[in-house]
Amino acid sequence: MSEITNDFSKNKAFLIDMTKCTGCRGCQVACKQWNQLDAEKTEFFTGEGYQNPPLMSEHTFTRIKFRDYQKNGQNEFAFYKEMCMHCNDPACASVCPVGAFKKTAEGPVVYDAKRCIGCRFCMVACPFGVPKYEWSKALPLVRKCTGCYSRIKEGQKPACATTCPSAITYGNRGDMIKEANKRIATRPEKYLKKLYGAEEAGGTSVIYLTALPFDELGFKHVTKRPLPSYTWQALRLVPGIFLTVGGSLSLLSWFTHRKDRLKKEAEQRDASEKAPKEES
Amino acid sequence: MTNHWIDLKNADAILAIGCNPAENHPISFKWIEQAIDNGGKLLAVDPRFTRTASKADHYAQIRPGTDIAYLGGMINYALQNNLTHKEYVAEYTNASFIVNDKFAFEEGIFCAFDDQEKSYDPKAWAYEVDGAGLPRRDKSLQDPRCVYQQMKKHFSRYTVEMVCSITGTNKEDYLAVAKAFCATGRPDKAGTILYAMGITQSTHGTQNVRAVAMLQMLLGNIGIAGGGVNALRGESNVQGSTDYGLLFHILPGYLKSPEYDNVDLKAYLDKYTPKAKDPKSANWWGNTPKYTVSLLKAWYGDNATAENGFCYDYLPKRSGNYSFMKMMEKMGKGELQGLVCMGQNPAVGGPDSLATREALGKLDWLVTVDLWETETSIFWKRPGVNPKDIKTEVFMLPAASSVEKEGSISNSGRWAQWRYKAAEPVGDAKSDLWIIDKFFKGVKKAYEKGGAFPEPITKLAWNYGNHEEPDVHLVAKEINGYFTKDMTIVDGPKTLEFKKGDQVPMFKYLQADGSTVSGNWIYCGSYTKDGNLMARRDSTDPTGLGMFPKWSWCWPVNRRIIYNRASVNPEGTPFNAKRTVIAWDLLEKKWKGDVPDGPWPPAADKEGKHPFIMLPEGHGRLYALDLKDGPFPEHYEPIESPAKNLMSKTQSNPAVKIPANMSSDMSKYPFIGTTYRMTEHWQAGAMTRSLPWLVELVPTMFVEISETLARTKGIGNGDQVRITTERGSIEAKALVTSRLKPFNVQGNMVEQVGLPWHFGYAGVATGDSGNVLTPSVGCANTSIPEFKAFLCNIEKGGKRA
Amino acid sequence: MTAAKIIYNEVKGYHNFVKFLIVLVAAGAVASLVRFVFGLGVTTNLNDTFPWGLWISFDVVTAVPLAAGAFTLGAIVHCFHIKKLEPLVRPAIVTGFLGYSLVSVGLLLDLGQPQRCWHTMVYWNPHSPMFEVSMCIMAYTTVLFLEFLSPVCEKFGYHVPLRLLRTIEMPLVVAAASISTLHQSSLGTFFLIAVDKLHSLWYNPLLPLLFWISAMCAGISIIIVEATMSHKWMGQPDESELLETLAKILPYVLTLYLTAKLFSLFALTEGPMFDRPGLVALFAVEMIAGVLAPLVMLMNGNVREHNRLRATAAWLVIAGVILNRFNVSMFGMEAPGTLYYPSFIESVVTIGIIAAHVLFFVLIAKYFPIFEHHPETVDYSIPDSFHKTDKGHAAPAKGLAGEA
Repeated sequence: MSEITNDFSKNKAFLIDMTKCTGCRGCQVACKQWNQLDAEKTEFFTGEGYQNPPLMSEHTFTRIKFRDYQKNGQNEFAFYKEMCMHCNDPACASVCPVGAFKKTAEGPVVYDAKRCIGCRFCMVACPFGVPKYEWSKALPLVRKCTGCYSRIKEGQKPACATTCPSAITYGNRGDMIKEANKRIATRPEKYLKKLYGAEEAGGTSVIYLTALPFDELGFKHVTKRPLPSYTWQALRLVPGIFLTVGGSLSLLSWFTHRKDRLKKEAEQRDASEKAPKEES
Repeated sequence: MTNHWIDLKNADAILAIGCNPAENHPISFKWIEQAIDNGGKLLAVDPRFTRTASKADHYAQIRPGTDIAYLGGMINYALQNNLTHKEYVAEYTNASFIVNDKFAFEEGIFCAFDDQEKSYDPKAWAYEVDGAGLPRRDKSLQDPRCVYQQMKKHFSRYTVEMVCSITGTNKEDYLAVAKAFCATGRPDKAGTILYAMGITQSTHGTQNVRAVAMLQMLLGNIGIAGGGVNALRGESNVQGSTDYGLLFHILPGYLKSPEYDNVDLKAYLDKYTPKAKDPKSANWWGNTPKYTVSLLKAWYGDNATAENGFCYDYLPKRSGNYSFMKMMEKMGKGELQGLVCMGQNPAVGGPDSLATREALGKLDWLVTVDLWETETSIFWKRPGVNPKDIKTEVFMLPAASSVEKEGSISNSGRWAQWRYKAAEPVGDAKSDLWIIDKFFKGVKKAYEKGGAFPEPITKLAWNYGNHEEPDVHLVAKEINGYFTKDMTIVDGPKTLEFKKGDQVPMFKYLQADGSTVSGNWIYCGSYTKDGNLMARRDSTDPTGLGMFPKWSWCWPVNRRIIYNRASVNPEGTPFNAKRTVIAWDLLEKKWKGDVPDGPWPPAADKEGKHPFIMLPEGHGRLYALDLKDGPFPEHYEPIESPAKNLMSKTQSNPAVKIPANMSSDMSKYPFIGTTYRMTEHWQAGAMTRSLPWLVELVPTMFVEISETLARTKGIGNGDQVRITTERGSIEAKALVTSRLKPFNVQGNMVEQVGLPWHFGYAGVATGDSGNVLTPSVGCANTSIPEFKAFLCNIEKGGKRA
Repeated sequence: MTAAKIIYNEVKGYHNFVKFLIVLVAAGAVASLVRFVFGLGVTTNLNDTFPWGLWISFDVVTAVPLAAGAFTLGAIVHCFHIKKLEPLVRPAIVTGFLGYSLVSVGLLLDLGQPQRCWHTMVYWNPHSPMFEVSMCIMAYTTVLFLEFLSPVCEKFGYHVPLRLLRTIEMPLVVAAASISTLHQSSLGTFFLIAVDKLHSLWYNPLLPLLFWISAMCAGISIIIVEATMSHKWMGQPDESELLETLAKILPYVLTLYLTAKLFSLFALTEGPMFDRPGLVALFAVEMIAGVLAPLVMLMNGNVREHNRLRATAAWLVIAGVILNRFNVSMFGMEAPGTLYYPSFIESVVTIGIIAAHVLFFVLIAKYFPIFEHHPETVDYSIPDSFHKTDKGHAAPAKGLAGEA
């Protein structure tokens, strides 16, 4: 179940300024170290530039995607930090049948492994493709960025934010959005005038600033409506439908069987009328 | 660095040439980004479009080995367009000094060159002196023999057209960089030049740095906040290692190491103590006797007395070049019996790896001290070799990592930050201090039984406690220094009393008579009666310039920006009031701000001193007097070059002897090779190629090639390729990218092959070593190998294809 | 004779086709064991890009509508009171009961933590369509089980429970239809959240409605096919007349589906529809072969009266529903350039599940009074609300099941 509050400005959020990211992968390694994740087996780079591993997975909660291409004769060597967006109204939390995901008051969307039955609906539902599965295990669980919730409870910042020297700022969502807009206003020639993550999926806890258009960097196009609202518009009708169908079928049955009942009563009346006649 | 890391945020322009801070010093980008946020411009000059270039306002492609052409062009640009800081140049540099009339320069050769020895006599470049023995000067900078005019003439040949045809840089890009950077010549603007191995690893590496320093002096950028000549050191404590004299030609504190013809202490001190006649010159190296004697007292304790020249005779005397390459050469000839490699991996880290690996096999014994098995420690079972054929006895000592021991690390900014011990070493691993302590004690014991000339070992003072682990605090205290007897010192209006055993508060109180001990004069002041200043963690920053004066301790005397007397005019007023490093308070008659480069009043005052206190003339040297290959930087091609030298008839640095296995035959080796480092791996790879999280990021040896080269050779991304030079050949996977482009070399497009050098046959992730390809030839002054520019060939396929 | 000997002799007498089904089921069981021992990652082609594969697409999203005949026919016969179709009810209930039970088996195989399947009864998330479906399927399977108990009680002569069951029969039918409406549509609700993933040819807000209607189409068609095949291969009565009636109802439901689908496509769909030729082809087949063709066929009285043609039309509808469910849950969800296909184990398990359905249907039909209209052993003196039909006594014929 998700605790949906309307004001997310006091939630903690990331401001990731991709124009300041140098693709050093300190965040990737810090995350692996903090979460004690395995390294993936790689043979060469997978993707553009020095990108590795090929995808996020049960062993990789965050990853720098590289873009190495030319645009108008100029080199573009750009980076995008993929991670869980810790949505304000998370799709994963809404579809999980056992409510294993929760949007905490502090901001991170956390996963309670003890509840999980392994249906993987969260993986289908997440528009960002974040939850990954422990395919390597016989009894797999879902794995994803925890938002370093245990660190935040201790007043620390997430591991990636702590390690990053230049691109990641961590603080209240309201402040992060303000800061992002301030940067755009101060250096308009440097930034795309849009924030990714501010409105996507109804608003997330990871706000991106970039110089390049989103699709060039590899950001997914995601609806601005909270994902659960799409399901809820149908699910909210459930009690009504149940009562309507049940009620109308009951009513219908009563009517259609009425004829039979009347007929039977008529027959019984006839039979009882006939019998005495025969006797007399 | 003349400045320090955090100071980068104060720059209006940052020129990153021959370095790649985003990849090799990623944390520095915190400060570089702040500079950019404040309107500063990042300018990246590199053969490849690196992660640094991706963040730069302007990127200029430069052919490896042509940095003097590039910087010379900027010097010329600044001079021709009147962008220099005129007052600074006139007052603080030797621009006005007049050069002797024998000085000449012809077709790439300076006067007094010995063709046989391939060496210069620097005395021929001396200033012209007047009767009083002071150099003659023309403050108007008009005299044709003054440094300014000589320099202008020398660099007038470095026109933008000429320079771009040498470096292969696109003219627009070149001018964009020149314009942006030379704009910092204004007194209220600051430009910093960051450099690293791209500048130093060349047969004219020292002259490359000279060109950087010259440009900065002309623009008035040395000694100011956001300025400076800033080397990005390549290891976390390499600054410490050079500070403590781990290079063959120096002693701790950058004192010169004695040579065979410095027969006694007096001769040594006479040779190396400069004398200055100008009363306004602080001539700080004039204190050499104090520092030398204090050092000798540290080493030999009470055994060192004035009578025996403080045991100077016990110091080994060098006869020539004992650089890494020379050592490997000797080793290869079988002239070395044994070698100790502490945290050093010559089999991967030095040039011409195959020769080095062969040479290791000529040793009788080898000791390696490292955290992991390195290629050097297992050279005897490397691929292709039968261990039975190798007679070397190899000892591998496990070393503790930096977090498993207590001590200081000196960063590029000269800050010595004390670290606590966070974890116990694993297994049998020991700290370097413990290892050296045991080494010394063992050798001493052996010498006490006999041996040739045992005193240099047996008479050493070694007072580091009686516990199993030597007390690193005692080492640090000895480095700072203490008084060997009660002393009374008069310092201006103050009279100071010291007791025997008191820590010396700063190096100006060190003595030449044996009454002080100091293991390293530049660290004097780091561990005083106030305790271990290197361990301070006070994050107040009163000036807002990021100096953090109470965080840790830096040398010298916690001065954060050195040569800071050049940040004010001769009257003591800061050139840029908005970024005041030091300012002279007329009322209190003292300096406010950073620790001033000497307490004396501003230069104009009769008690004042010139800002460049480490030079006898007190003025920054646009014209150098004592380098092996010339007073002005001059462009020469690297030894293996695809081009004829357009600047002069002298193809490569005349002061460098060319070894046998070099070739500029473009028909065999048509491409330019260069080596570099990555964020994800560390040096020779011992520390990182066994860490799975790093191996995951960069799992294999690879080379970067341009899309055009890939097309020509039919190489696809990820294909196995073979790269060959005159030294050897290796295999790797190819990374095809548009970030590398060929160079326009006098009309021909010459391709480049970029190689990281992190790989080797030891560890978890193995691969061929980039340095198998590099040449064993180096800088005329420092002998640092020319890793950055050589010729190679590349072909698709290989045994492992 | 020991029980084992009895069973052995019995099985020996089965038709070869039934024996073949037993082999398939056994293979499926072995494959399932392998899946449980080694885990999903090793035995399936599922991965982070395709977390749902054949088992969800077929064993859940397709098998559920294919078992929809039970509630559809139950509603038609008992609520709309089209009594003459009553003989088709029991086989439909068996199909439903078997179908839903096997859906549960499929789900248990697909869950990563099947031993925790009971968690949905303890940890609730009413916002989750999967929670809703899991509650509904549990409830509905219970209903089907209770409905299935009637023939069981009749066989073994448990009169008292039988009376109880007959009393609650109507409420069960209404409950069945209501619950089924909910979960058939909720399977469609699942995919409403895949707004940026499911291709526009299928994604629209009416997905739940479309799934519900197509479930009814599938249910009716399955009954037509199953009755036709029972008569042909198992010697059960020829119910052509009843099937004609059903075949008359089916086009109305198909038209309802077509209308809803066209409306949703042209009025409610955003995003490009014709940008991926492969998906357009699949869509065309689904609509033309699965909806339009059978619709046109069944509008013709001759088709409705002809056994073969009527069955063909029903098969087309079934194929259309299967393809539609695969299009929504698998093909339409695949990002361009990616492709999922099931592994050997996945395929063996699914084939085993389908074989189990057929096998158990045949065996239940053989041993329980599913098809009999006037079974002699039934005590019809117990009052019930059914009127029997007047088709006359039909002796159970010999066929697949061997003896009567």
